[in-house]
Amino acid sequence: MNRSRIAIAVALLGIVVAVGWSARPHTETQAERVDRITSELRCVVCQGLSVKDSPSESARQMRDLVTQRVAEGRTDDQIRDEFRASYGDWVVLSPPVVGWSGLIWVAPLAAVLVGLAVALRRLRAPPATMPEPPAAAVAALRERVAREEALDLPADAR
Amino acid sequence: MPRWLRLGIVVAIAALVVVLVLAFRRPPQDIRTGTVGKPAAAFTLQKLEGAGTLTFTPADGKVTIVNFFASWCIPCKEENPALVRVYERYRASDVVFIGVLYQDSRDSGLQYVHDNGVVWPTASDDDGRVAFSYGVFGIPETYFIGPDGIIAGRHIGPIDETTLINGIETLRAKARP
Repeated sequence: MNRSRIAIAVALLGIVVAVGWSARPHTETQAERVDRITSELRCVVCQGLSVKDSPSESARQMRDLVTQRVAEGRTDDQIRDEFRASYGDWVVLSPPVVGWSGLIWVAPLAAVLVGLAVALRRLRAPPATMPEPPAAAVAALRERVAREEALDLPADAR
Repeated sequence: MPRWLRLGIVVAIAALVVVLVLAFRRPPQDIRTGTVGKPAAAFTLQKLEGAGTLTFTPADGKVTIVNFFASWCIPCKEENPALVRVYERYRASDVVFIGVLYQDSRDSGLQYVHDNGVVWPTASDDDGRVAFSYGVFGIPETYFIGPDGIIAGRHIGPIDETTLINGIETLRAKARP
């Protein structure tokens, strides 16, 4: 028991150290910035590929443009806005939360909330009960049961 | 299931159908991207034919047709006869045609213009920056730029004579006082 607790504690410690290490302050190089920005932009001649991942000539030219803009000291937003000005919001792989494209983010969340609301409502609702049968019907049923039970009795018991 | 939830699901499905119907009704040659309705980018490129540069300055009071093409592009060859005929029709007018070679070598581009009767000014977009500033997806693409320098429309894929003439005449009619 003690061993397994120690193993769990070591594993948790490992996770905390790994998360802390990955989240440590790190100055991004220009090449890393270009990679990050191009991975967020859609290749305009491909099917679902980013500018970073596409081997096409168009994507290469766009990577060159991003590299130049990064070297010029433009901000991420300025570079993305330049692409948006030419190709619209479509060119950004993660559409902005504002405007109509925000529906893409809001709709799944709304669906989950509606589903949760329905599930909670069902859980809180009292269990369904059968309606009480009329007294006359109950009496008739009891009488019938008694009659049938009397018929089933052995001969010496009658 | 509560009544409000059933109603909500019906409304959501109806909205989805409306969005899909509207999306599929739009012609695929007329994709509205960032540049349509906005000022066209000015550019200066190396001429294909001869030395020197070709400069396009929008809002010069002329209707301008900017066509992106390449020698390796089969649909560009398909649309070229229509471009040649419409160019001849407006040659003496104030309509300007500009051909922009895209993702191609100048030698191949020059051979293409000689072989296909392209006599309007052509230039080479070596680094693709002009195509980028116009929002070109893939060639052939044709842009209709009004006398006010605004991109009034674009056509993706091979263009035909009627579409070209209609686009030009619409812009010329708007320009007339």
